[in-house]
Amino acid sequence: MDRSYVRNLPGCVGIGLVVVARLVGLLQPLELDALDVGLRWRSPEPTDDRIVIVGINETDLQSVDTYPIPDEVLAQLLQQLQTYNPQVIGLDIVRDVPVEPGHAQLVEAFTTIPNIIGGESIFLDRIDAVIAPPPSLPPEQIGFVDSILDDDGHQRRAILGGTNQEGEYRFSMAIQLASAYLSAQGIELSNGIKNPVSMRFGDAELPVVSSNLGGYVRADAGGNQTLINFRSGQRPFRQVSLLDMVKGDVDPEWFRDRIVLIGITATSKRDYERSAAIASSNPGLVFGVELHAHTVSQIVSAALDGRSLLRTWSDGWEYLWIIAWGLVGMGIGQWVQRPIRHFLWVGSIMLSLMAASYGFLAAGWWIPIVPALTALLINGVLLYSFYLYDQTLQSRIRDRQLVIEQTFTTIHNGPLQTLAGMRRELDEPSFSKSKLEQSLGQLNQELRGIYDAIQQDAIQDNRLHLQGQAALDLTTPLHELLHEVYFDTLQRNFPGFTSLKAHIVTFEPFEENGLTAELKRELCRFLEEALCNVGKHASGARRLTIDCQHNGNHNLIRVIDNGSDLNVRGEDNIEHSVQKSRSLTPQLLKNAGRGTQQAEQLANKLRGNFNRSAHSPQGTCCELSWQPQKSILTQLKHHIIAVFGKVNHLFQPRRR
Amino acid sequence: MARTFVVIDDHEAVLSGTVAVLQKEYPDAQIITASGAKEAEEQIAGANPDAVVMDLSIPHTPKDSAQTETGLQLLRMLMEIYPTLNIVVQSAHVRSLVRIKPLMDLHEGGLTIADKGLPLKEMLKKVDWALQGLMYTPREMRVGLAIKPEWLKVLMLAFQDGLQDKAIAEKMNISERTVRHYWTKVQDALDVYPESGKNIRIQTEIRAREEGLID
Repeated sequence: MDRSYVRNLPGCVGIGLVVVARLVGLLQPLELDALDVGLRWRSPEPTDDRIVIVGINETDLQSVDTYPIPDEVLAQLLQQLQTYNPQVIGLDIVRDVPVEPGHAQLVEAFTTIPNIIGGESIFLDRIDAVIAPPPSLPPEQIGFVDSILDDDGHQRRAILGGTNQEGEYRFSMAIQLASAYLSAQGIELSNGIKNPVSMRFGDAELPVVSSNLGGYVRADAGGNQTLINFRSGQRPFRQVSLLDMVKGDVDPEWFRDRIVLIGITATSKRDYERSAAIASSNPGLVFGVELHAHTVSQIVSAALDGRSLLRTWSDGWEYLWIIAWGLVGMGIGQWVQRPIRHFLWVGSIMLSLMAASYGFLAAGWWIPIVPALTALLINGVLLYSFYLYDQTLQSRIRDRQLVIEQTFTTIHNGPLQTLAGMRRELDEPSFSKSKLEQSLGQLNQELRGIYDAIQQDAIQDNRLHLQGQAALDLTTPLHELLHEVYFDTLQRNFPGFTSLKAHIVTFEPFEENGLTAELKRELCRFLEEALCNVGKHASGARRLTIDCQHNGNHNLIRVIDNGSDLNVRGEDNIEHSVQKSRSLTPQLLKNAGRGTQQAEQLANKLRGNFNRSAHSPQGTCCELSWQPQKSILTQLKHHIIAVFGKVNHLFQPRRR
Repeated sequence: MARTFVVIDDHEAVLSGTVAVLQKEYPDAQIITASGAKEAEEQIAGANPDAVVMDLSIPHTPKDSAQTETGLQLLRMLMEIYPTLNIVVQSAHVRSLVRIKPLMDLHEGGLTIADKGLPLKEMLKKVDWALQGLMYTPREMRVGLAIKPEWLKVLMLAFQDGLQDKAIAEKMNISERTVRHYWTKVQDALDVYPESGKNIRIQTEIRAREEGLID
């Protein structure tokens, strides 16, 4: 099976699962919670002094001693407030029926004070009831005070407009108050430009909540709703109590040209909602009047100060963002490295993602953090273990392959070479029984030595075992290892070596960057094999030239002899002898040419070249050359020099 | 001129024996001893000796056990830091020196190997050769006649073209000193060493022709 398919499929499934989970709404509660946390963690904003809340609290209720608050008290409060010249007064206390005593006074207040906005409830509640507005106020001075809650009982959205049971379009109290305040500043309510359905005050277009907006899935998007960008801080608005008013414990300046909201701030009277987005002394509990204040405040601040409203991306961008983070998770999951490092990476990427989404939120964008984190986590952590397992499996298979290859190389460079020599001797007239015995003895010894050599090679990964030598440490410089190989191999009893007069040898340091112990072992075996070939096949060679060095930009291992070909050169020789005697096994026949194959494989691994060719006037040249990997340090040095060169060039005085 | 030697050996008896023989041969010489690689490094750095006579199997510090690897490491380091230092290596197991033969071929100072099994007279000869800047490696360290291409070039220029060292140096674009250094290496490869009454260059030529290195 294709490896990339195996590696990528689980990651894609992971991303798919997250997308599906989000589509069916499994992630909505988490996303909403994350939004609350993000909003709560914003740095505090200064108190919005355009809005003052007159909250009727528990103590006020006790002093009035009757509930609902009598019309008389409200009428006095309204009259007193009016003397302070506020811009507009919102009464978040429904008065569809008279509450005596003092109803006549309240009607009088309603008719004489022109800037009062009264409350009504237009949406059906749990008992299918609506609450009518105060009959003495004209319709344009009425705003509805209904609120809409999420499944978890928290309020994050405000309804700005909607159709009542009679089919008439009505505005909320927040819109009425903002509209009254802003029109005094010359800013009128109009339709949105980007989205004609939305409401707009000047440049501030209030984003409309659709049913799948942001983290919402099939939310009740009835009416014209917007997300509330709660004003952060412990004291978003100035708040006074009824008693403060009665005692005159207030500064009239607080109210002049301001928006005043009157409402109940006593927990016993159940005019509160839940919100986790506000850092308050009573977490999770916000009075209705405060929620209206937040809504009004965000509209007015957006129109006058350009304070950001809470916006979201379109669905397409959101899913692209989630998929992108899933891919990032897949990327770091596949880039397998040590677990501790990996988890540090995942951890820091997750932290940056959270920081980024916090930054977005501070700038007014609610982005899908929870699905992105989930996708990243699934692919980066859960799938990492899968990748790790896959990696282990792969490396086990590779190790086994390596052992097989090592075994064969050892057999090939040892007993098989002796065997080939024996076969040649058979044809010679000087062949004797004692010679055969000697060769057989050697063969016996070599075959017995294979197990030990392989076992040691496989166990101690950084040692090389030559025939007549103790194990060599593969961390030794390559040219020294190759010199040992040369020294060891030339001592072996091959016919081709007997005629040699001189070795012209160069063993000088290589550029060893990127050479693993395993590659060095294979390079040693390569030289061994090349020298064995000279020993077996070169006839009457007088001179052997061995070049092992880094010349300029290539690493080079080259063996040249000037002997004539005994018969066909290279591994083919084994095939020849096989055909001659027909006594070797088919397996051996199959493995003929193995040395060349291995050399080519090695050249591939090093991204270099292997070449065996005739050398003039006679002889054979066998060479392996490759370009060393540049170390990071060298690369860096080159870059620095290049950059420095450019900079230097820039600063040089220009000549005309 | 008084000479300075540094002698390194971890066996007290061997050390005093070597020192005694050296002192007898070079009565004016100052002889400094060291019993481990670490001490030797310090002594050599301080004394700037004419020759170092070192055992190959030595400990790093007196507390460690003696190891050939330690001696090899010291030898590597000495050749790297002092490329012209004269060195005599005493060893009972010269095979282990094969690995650093490529490095030894690059060393410009005298470098001789004295088999510990041979009489002290032989050792004195090796010290003398080292002081002359010669190279000597025993047969066990060689497999056939191994020559570097540049040494072969020197032989050809000298014996085929009849050039003198100065002309060879110019032709090969190297210093005369390097040419002399190549001579000592190729002489060692050809088993040509100073013998009284014999011209070493002519000996070298005879051997080179015997081996077919030059026509």
